[in-house]
Order: sequence, then C-alpha cells, then structure tokens
Amino acid sequence: MKINYNLQDKFDFSIFIPLLGLVLLGLLAVYSSTYENSSASNNFERQFIFTVISFVIFFVIYFLPSHTFRITATPIYILSQILLIAVLIIGRVTKGAKSWLDVGFVGFQPSEFAKVGLILFLAYWLSHKKHDINNFKELLSAVGIGFIPIILIILEPDMGTAIVFVVITLVMIFWSGIDLFGLFAVLSPGIAVFASLFGIVYFMITLFLILLVLISFRRDLFLSTTIFVVNIAAGFVFEIAYKFLRPHQQRRIESFIDPYSDPLGSGYNAIQAKVAIGSGGLLGKGFLEGNQTQLRFIPEQWTDFIFCVIGEEFGFIGSLLVLILFLILFMRLINLSQITKDKFSSLIVVGIISLIATHFTINIGMNLGITPVIGLPLPFLSYGGSSLLVNISLIAVALNIYRNRKYSG
Amino acid sequence: MTDEYFGSYIRKDIILYSLIVLFGLFTFRLFKMQILDNPIYKEKSEENSIKAVTVDAPRGVLYDRNFKYLVSNKPSYSLELIPENFSFANIGFIEYGISLDSGFVSNALANQKNIPAHIPRKIIENLSTPSIAWIEENKRNIPGIYLTVDLQRDYSFGIRGSHIFGYIKEIDSRRFKEMKDEYDLGDFIGYSGIEKTYEKYLRGEKGFEFFVVDAQQHKKGRYENGTNDIKPVKGNDLVLTIDKEVQKKAEELFRDKSGALVAIEPSTGEVLALVSAPDYDLGQLSSVTSNKVWNELSTDGNKPLFNRATMSSNPPGSPFKIITAIAALEEGIIDPSFTYVCQGGYQFGDRFFKCTHVHGKMNLIQAIEHSCNTYFYQLILKIGLEKWVKVAKEFGFGEKTKIDISEESNGLLPDADYFDRTYGKGKWTSGYLISLAIGQGDIISTPLQLAKYTCLLANMGRSYQPHIVKGYIDHENSYVPLSFPEIKADISENTLKVVREGMRRVVNGEGTATNIKMKEFEISGKTGTAQNPHGEDHAIFIAFAPYDNPKIAVSVIVENVGFGSTHAAPVAKEIIKTYLLKNVPDENLASLK
Repeated sequence: MKINYNLQDKFDFSIFIPLLGLVLLGLLAVYSSTYENSSASNNFERQFIFTVISFVIFFVIYFLPSHTFRITATPIYILSQILLIAVLIIGRVTKGAKSWLDVGFVGFQPSEFAKVGLILFLAYWLSHKKHDINNFKELLSAVGIGFIPIILIILEPDMGTAIVFVVITLVMIFWSGIDLFGLFAVLSPGIAVFASLFGIVYFMITLFLILLVLISFRRDLFLSTTIFVVNIAAGFVFEIAYKFLRPHQQRRIESFIDPYSDPLGSGYNAIQAKVAIGSGGLLGKGFLEGNQTQLRFIPEQWTDFIFCVIGEEFGFIGSLLVLILFLILFMRLINLSQITKDKFSSLIVVGIISLIATHFTINIGMNLGITPVIGLPLPFLSYGGSSLLVNISLIAVALNIYRNRKYSG
Repeated sequence: MTDEYFGSYIRKDIILYSLIVLFGLFTFRLFKMQILDNPIYKEKSEENSIKAVTVDAPRGVLYDRNFKYLVSNKPSYSLELIPENFSFANIGFIEYGISLDSGFVSNALANQKNIPAHIPRKIIENLSTPSIAWIEENKRNIPGIYLTVDLQRDYSFGIRGSHIFGYIKEIDSRRFKEMKDEYDLGDFIGYSGIEKTYEKYLRGEKGFEFFVVDAQQHKKGRYENGTNDIKPVKGNDLVLTIDKEVQKKAEELFRDKSGALVAIEPSTGEVLALVSAPDYDLGQLSSVTSNKVWNELSTDGNKPLFNRATMSSNPPGSPFKIITAIAALEEGIIDPSFTYVCQGGYQFGDRFFKCTHVHGKMNLIQAIEHSCNTYFYQLILKIGLEKWVKVAKEFGFGEKTKIDISEESNGLLPDADYFDRTYGKGKWTSGYLISLAIGQGDIISTPLQLAKYTCLLANMGRSYQPHIVKGYIDHENSYVPLSFPEIKADISENTLKVVREGMRRVVNGEGTATNIKMKEFEISGKTGTAQNPHGEDHAIFIAFAPYDNPKIAVSVIVENVGFGSTHAAPVAKEIIKTYLLKNVPDENLASLK
C-alpha cells in the first residue's frame, strides 16, 4: 500500500486503525454473546447503530477548529456537573446505581459526558498561565475540579467510574509539572486509603511513615500539618464511602480476595470469566463456538466481560491482538502528548490516555482475575452507547489535536 | 511540548513504561491461563456445560429351567411436569382427566418445590392404560406435561415365587453408604432372594447420555450428536432351576395353607420348586403404594415375608428316625433283622415315652415303615449321642445348605457340647437322647435341610449343594452354566438300601402313607409330625420318586394341621406327580415303573 504522507501528516492512522480494529472486534464479540439471546435481543443492531453514529460524530469533532475545545471546556464542565446533579434526582436506577438519565427516547449516562468535561476543564485550568500547580492553593483548586464530579458519582453510587475520575485528576495534575512535594501531597491520601483497607494497624503505620516523609521535606509547618490531616481524613472518609457501597459491591471486593469461597455468589463471574478465557487456548474455540459464551455462563457478558468472548472464541492470539491494539493506541497517544505544541492539548491527550488506560487496566484485570470485579466497560469493545460515543469522540479530539499539533494554541 | 517544566520527559517515561509493564503483566497472565493452564480450564468449561443423564440398564429377566419367563420387565408410565412451561390453570383438568383426587398435583408439586422451575417433576407413576391414553391425547393442549417410561419388574407369568425371587427396592441410605461407588440414590437394588444374591448379574451397567446445558441447566442439545453416549448394558438373564409348572402347582396347593415345600432334583441339587406360605405379591411391592403394602406385610401376624422353606425352626419329627437307623447300621450296632417289641411305648427311668400304636415285634425296616417310636427310643440308647450326631452331620443338619439365597438358618443339631452348655455339665442324662431318636426334642431343622437330606437318601449319598440358579445368559446371548459343589453323605450303600426299602414301604407297603400310593411309579417317603408347643402339630413329609431312579426329592411341612400322612403326604404326591407325569404321554407312563 502506498502511504499518502500528506494524509498521514493530517490524520494519524496509527491511532485510527487500532481504534477501528478494537471497535470491529467489539462488534464481533457483542454479536457472539447476544445473538439468539432473548434477554439481549437487538443488542448487536443497537451497538452497530451507535458505532455508525459515533464515527459520524468522530469526523465532525476531527474537523472542528482547534480553539473549540478551549472555548467549550468551561461550559461543558459546568453542564456536566448539572447533569450529574440531575441524575441523582431524576435518574433511573440500573444495577443498584442511579446513573441513567432518560432524555426523550434515549437514555445516557451523565458520568460518561462528565469525563469529557473533566478532561477539558482540568486541561484548561492546569495550562492557564496564571495557575502554578506548585502553589498549594492552586493545587487544591485543581484537586477540587476533580473532587466535585467524584463526589457526585460516589453518591450514585458508581465506585468504578469514581475511580476513573480520581485517576484522571491525579495523572493530569502529575503531568502539569507538579514537584515531588506536591505529588506526595496529592498521592499520600491514596496510600492512606489503600492502607486502611488492611485494618487500623497498617493504617497507623502508614500514617506514621507519611508523617516522617512530610517532616523530611522541611516545608511550611502549616502546610505539612494540613496535608497530614487530609491523610487521616481520607482514611476515615473511605471507611464511610465503603459503607456507601451497595452490599453487592462490598461482596465483590471481598470475593476478589478469594473468588472460590463463594463460587455461586459474587465470585461466580470472576471464576466463569477465567474459565472462559483459560479454555480458549491458543487459537480459541472459534467464532460463535465458545460454550461458556454461547451457553450464557457469564451474565451480561456483552458489557463488562466482553473480553472473555474474545479470549474464549479467538484464544490467546485474539486476546493478544486486543492488548497490542491498545498498546499501539497508548504509545501513539503518548507520542502525541509530546509532539503537540501547547500544554492544553498535551494535558487533554494525557487525560484521554488516563481515562482509557484506567478502564483498560481494571476491565482486563478483572477478566483475568487480577483485580476485583468493578463494573467498568472495556473501551471500544463493551456494549453500551454512551461509553462508545464518548470514547470514540475523545479519540477524535486527540486526532484533532494531531491535525493542529503544529499550531500553538 | 514547548513548556520545559519539571522533568517532562521523565513523566512521559513513567506513563509509557507503566503501560508497557501492564501490557507485559497481562500478556504473561494470558499466556499462563490460555496456554499453560489451558487443560485445567478446558476441563472446567466442559464440566460446566456437559450434563450426563444416566440411562438405567434393563434388569436381567428370570427364566425357569425350560426357559419359560418367571420374571420380566414391563414399561411403567409416569406423568411428569415442568413448572416453567406449565399453566397452573390446567391442574383441575388433569386431575379430572386421569381421575386423581383434587389437590393431588399441587401436593406432588409442593413436595418437590426447591428445584429450579425447568427441572421436571414426577407427579404420578404406574399410570393406568386409560390415563396414558388421556395424556397422549391431551398433552398437546397442556404445555409442560409429558409421559416418561421406566422399566419395572413384571410378575405376571402365573407364579408368585415371592421367596425365591425376592424383591427389589430403591437403595436405602445404609446400603448407599456402603456402595457409593457403584450406586446412585434412587437406584433399585435386590433386597432378598435371587434378586439380592445375583444382583451383580442382574443389574447390568448404566448408560449415559451427554447433553449440552447452559448456565441454568437448560438442555441445548446432544453433546457431539450423542457420539460419546454410553449405551446401557442390560443385566444378565438368569436361568433358574425352578420348574414353572411344579412351582405353580406347589403355590396352588399351599394357597390356603401355612407351611413350606422344597422340591429338589437329587442328582443335581437343582431346586425345582420352593414355596413358603403365606407369601406375598411382589407386583404390589414395586408399585407406588409400596410403603403401605410394606407396612401391612411386615406387621402381618402370619409373617408372609418370612421364608419358612429355609428359615422355619421346627423339629424334623419322624423322618429323623432314618438317621437313627443309619447310625445303628453304620456303626454295626445292629443288623436289619434286629427286633424290638413295641408295647405302645418305652419306660425310661421314671418317664414313659409313648408310641403311636402297640406295634408288637418289629425289625428295622418295619419300624421305619410303621414309624414305631419304641424301636428307635431303644436303638438310640445303644448308639449314643456322639455316633448319632456324626451321622446327622453327614446329611448336613445343624448347618446351612448354602443355597443361593441369603435368607437361611442353621437349624440345630444338639451334641454333647450343646447339652453341656444348655443344661450344665453332667446335668443331662441319656434320657435326653430318647426324643432325638424320633426327631423331637432339642433338634431343629428347616424344610430345605430336610429336602437336601432326602436328596442324599434318594441318590445314594451323593448330590450337589442345593441351588436355584443354573446359569445365566451372557452378552453374546449364550448360556453360561454355573457350577456348585458336590455334597456327599459318607454312608455305605448297604445301609442306604435298607433304609430306602423302609421308605418305599411307608408308601407302597403297609406303612403310614399308603394313602398316596401311585400306580405309575413308586414314591418312597417318611411321614412325620413336628410337635408344636403353640398349637396343633405341623405335618411333615419327605419323599423321593421314582424309587429306582429318583428324579425328585420333596420335603413338605404343613403347619398346625396334625399328622403328616393326612396333610403333608398328599401335597408331596401332587408335586411329584406334576413333575414326573408332565409331558409324559399316557402310553409311556408304564415305562416309568
């Protein structure tokens, strides 16, 4: 094939082709897991229509003027926060979370839309000349921008999505040039929360270590004390948040420790997912031939467990192909974050990477039995209109940035 | 990026390498699961989705010695119902259609409610033909119901054979615990008789049909089109030694009686007929009402479940005089011409032992012929216990015959040890022996032991261990005979000739059973009466025929009727007649003489 260098200069096929490949694999897997399934009839047709719509929007976004994102960042963020509040009041409850908003005949998840709002607005805030991330007050403002949607989403409650927002916020702050002390100030509450999972003793030991590190930085006493208090608070807030988790979500975390302790309860999905993937072998059982998939051993496989379909029916080769397509996508996006001329665009790209990478890590991780079963879809592959539209649109944003990479904004 | 803020390249590398490490971790994990551990997961996945449904093997049928059916299998239809597909509005219609009590279907469903709704429930078994027809007609209009067929024992061949065949039942928890590897709950297993002893031959091997099922156990089709299915192997058919006509006759003769009969072919030990009365209907035991039937049978005062032929404990009575006679002859204590004078009894110490008549002067053969007690009272005192016991042992008294059904008792042959144990050392005298001489007192035997004894007398001391099964039909459809050990009574021919002559005269001379004398052939026998402390005495008769070339040996006990020749001997005669004159054209009857 003759490469049109002129076209490649405007449109990064190394991003677009992996995207196309992942979307097509997703459609195959959705078809395989839903055809002849009365409880998921028309899912493939719907996903196909969503895909077409998403690609139309993809090209619309791709051709938008470069300054569009800067202009729309603030309104989109504000609008998305309003929608997040709205969903708490008038939302539809699905799987124990009030996360769906019905507008006319279509339903969508405001939390998906809010991802775009957060990435754009945080990029806008962090890239603004006025804001120095190494100023503690500025850092707190940046954290606050992420904190608003995180709290609203926890209230739904949708812990999986909340985790994604946390990661996006942290990675973008990290990317914006924070120094080691600032980074420590942001990250240490996370460490404290993680330690609190293992009980009060570990939590106390961790707090003590954090205190030692804070002292060694020899910064302003008030500042250090504030950070330490935040750490303590984070641990307790998490305990409260854990209680906010629905019993099924708590059980999922517990059953992750030992899925076989409750093979027919919350560990069931994890076990069946592993069996599906493991039984696929090198080449898989063949399209529409996977007995785990075709005999519906994994409930709602077309959403969070779509990777099992690939693993079972296309084997190691198919699974590896998915991983490689994602890796290419990530590497090209990281590359883009480096070559783009302005900080705003760079931050947007990093926000997109952290969003997709978080979904990717948690989703594949739970399919492989490495991470707990947290309900996060696999970008581009899982069934679901909102998620597909938002993810494809974000890649369109990245490609728009690629198109305009030589012009500083 | 133009902004040269703090270590921007380091930050890029942190993100990039984190993702590469993640990629490596996932790839390694995939490799481990899909390549290295693939066999484990593959097996789990197949276990997940393949369900084996057992197919019961038809139980082997039972033939008589002439390959006539004794017990076979018949289809039994049951109504099953799948709640998931069933409309409960139809319950009344079904109950009306197959004449069930109102509420029957709901009750049956309530008893099986903790099962997923797509698993079929058995509503009623053993449907009548009109019910089957009604269901066949209406099942198209009532979704969720259908008929299933199981095989059930068919006992409709004209004989009952309760104590020969024994019954089969669903395995109980105790047996299941012992034989977990071989049986599943709900399997039928032989509980008594031939069904129990030959369970391993009869049961066959279960088959399996493999179905692909989904997570809710819905059947999605045959696994690999049934190519892996394992066909059930039918159990071996057994060929019994029983003669159907003789058995049928024997059952008829005992219809209104209580007692037992055992008929054996002396040269082979093959049991031709075995009856214990009252008996029970095996067909009833295998039906749905079996629990009720079972309770009735087990609490019945007449003990229909008890196998009198192999287990009843009565003194053998006068047939045992022959043992006394043999002991005297074998030990050279007397010769056949030795006489005693019977004056109606025998005074021993302060006790008078009665005889039935005043027989006068009698030699040994006459004493057997007339069943003179006085003769044998005196004779045993000459013999002594030890020698007498030795002879009785030769004929197998006091021990099991090892017949091939497990319900059997030892009887009791009292020896010096027994008397020491029972009455105390030195506290018993030879007076205790006197009753033994005529088969009364402490001695106990079963009708089967008496039949075996008769076989040995008939066949000059040689026979085979009594048995009910001759052989089986193997899976190539050929007959495989089973062998049984030879048994022997080490008694001289001369001695046997003398006592056989006595037995011949019992029927054909002037003896106690001349009422059953036949013109076609000579029956030899010995009457007896077992004293019954609980009521009327039991009538006993042992016989073999024809005298010259015995083909059948019979022992009969008719309970609570009195003297042997009146009640037991005619029964024996009918059996002998049925067996020997069967299929014999009238013109050839003479040759039997």
